Amino acid sequence: MTQLQVERVVKTFNEGTPNEVRALRDVSLSVESGSFVVVIGMNGSGKSTLLNAVAGSFFADSGRVSIAGRDVTRWPEHRRAKLVGRVFQNPFSGTAPDLSIAENLALAARRGRPRGLGWALGPVVRHELAERVSSLGMGLQDRLDNPIGSLSGGQRQALTLLMATWRRPELLLLDEHTAALDPKSADQVIRLSTDVIERDRLTTMMVTHSMQQAAALGDRLIMMVQGRILHDFSGAEKQRLRAEDLLDRFEEVRRGERLDETAAELLRRSYV
Amino acid sequence: MTLLLGALSIGLILSLLAAGVFISFRVFSFPDITTDGSVTTGASVAAVLIVHGMSPLPATILGAVGGALAGAATGVLHARFKIHRLLAGILVMTALYSINLRIMGKSNVPLLAADTLATRADALGERVLGATQIGIWGYEVAARDLAVLALVFVIVIVVALLLWAFLRTQLGTAMRATGNNEQMIRALGVDVGNMQIIGLALANGLVGLSGALLAQYQGFADVQMGIGMVVWGLASVIIGEALVGTTQLGLVITGAVMGSVLFRLLVAIALRAGLDPNDLKLVTAVFVFAALILPGALAKMRARKSVKGLELERSGSAR
Repeated sequence: MTQLQVERVVKTFNEGTPNEVRALRDVSLSVESGSFVVVIGMNGSGKSTLLNAVAGSFFADSGRVSIAGRDVTRWPEHRRAKLVGRVFQNPFSGTAPDLSIAENLALAARRGRPRGLGWALGPVVRHELAERVSSLGMGLQDRLDNPIGSLSGGQRQALTLLMATWRRPELLLLDEHTAALDPKSADQVIRLSTDVIERDRLTTMMVTHSMQQAAALGDRLIMMVQGRILHDFSGAEKQRLRAEDLLDRFEEVRRGERLDETAAELLRRSYV
Repeated sequence: MTLLLGALSIGLILSLLAAGVFISFRVFSFPDITTDGSVTTGASVAAVLIVHGMSPLPATILGAVGGALAGAATGVLHARFKIHRLLAGILVMTALYSINLRIMGKSNVPLLAADTLATRADALGERVLGATQIGIWGYEVAARDLAVLALVFVIVIVVALLLWAFLRTQLGTAMRATGNNEQMIRALGVDVGNMQIIGLALANGLVGLSGALLAQYQGFADVQMGIGMVVWGLASVIIGEALVGTTQLGLVITGAVMGSVLFRLLVAIALRAGLDPNDLKLVTAVFVFAALILPGALAKMRARKSVKGLELERSGSAR
């Protein structure tokens, strides 16, 4: 079954100005339920923009997005959050620093549900919190009432992941969520991510800069160049890919671009 | 002693305003100038209704509702029409000046002969205490002043407890998170605009309540009474934070109340010592300015000192 359908999505930022960026040029993508898609690409290739277009941070200029069979093209971000769990690149983005660990998690426990005048932290919620936080193996269950701002980036990112997956999301979006962490914390967060993805069979899209992660994780790999999907590997082909192969592909792209530039320069010289 | 009781009563009444400013300014980081207008709206709605013979309690509550509507208007301007926070507040405050005049029909509504919460407290006080003068620690105190203070005290405690409880509900927690990290709360499915509208309505509802009580306490509603109130509220919140020195919710609310009372006492003492009442707003503004920049400046000075100390140490050990 198709869990995520992106059809001919186009997004241009600052249209008609000198700063015009054609971030997504006619991107189509269909992701099967339970699939774990890794997205790579150079800076400005549109990989994060693609994720944001799916999450609803902005509306696409044209094209459609549907998640779990629902057309969400015109849904604002907070409405899509019913279906989508997200972890951001910046470890500070996913949590409210002045609220306690428990309060942050209690907020996540009601993702996409109405929020009324019941206590945010009832005894039942509290019990479940302690249990699930101790499953992270970070000893945070004893610090549930501390403000989350007092934790390290790695701890906050682990908690953000727990929050994004607290209620099983139809789609999990990970946007370079280990890029800002030290190597040890990054490994830990990646391990927690793969654990929960496997346990709950989550449909996942992960953007990454790390070729090691791209080669080792997921069952499908998409490489974006200049707002388009250039390569799409899956199945045995994806499993065979190694980090070096991916670097080679990037080198190809780079050479191609340089060729374009030289050709453009030649043309300019002969005609202008 | 009468002066002290009066300062305490006004301080407590204005602590509701401080609690409102705490919500807009600290919970939402929204410097909400609507306050200057909504305090008068609360006062004028309550005053006019009381003059027309409404019982003071529902009139007071409707005054709070008037303030809440004003706050919701500011919230809608900002959240739905994307108008800058300060400008949204300024627009509503300006509009409220005319609206308040319309409500009152003139610039001042006296309540001297009317049946207000204050006169009811007086009557109750005299009946319970059985005398018009009471001795406290050797001072002669009017029973009515004491009764008014007691009534205000009870109202503030009830409102503060309700506020504390509300901020710990699912809705209240989402509201606090909205002020803290909009991106996060949006990703958890909360409409940030709605939270801001509800939050500002709540904040200005408290401000309106404060205005309604103030009008009944001082015996009139005046179209000018709101000028500088938001700065007053900020001063109270800042003093409160210095007093409790924590981010724990219950203590922060208590701090805002204590800050308001303390500030009013300081003002009463300063006025008694000869401060020209005309200078009061200037002094308040300078005070808030100092309170806003001092913590940063002190930290910088301390850092510079420790760097110097290190350098001295280093040059010492090099020798």
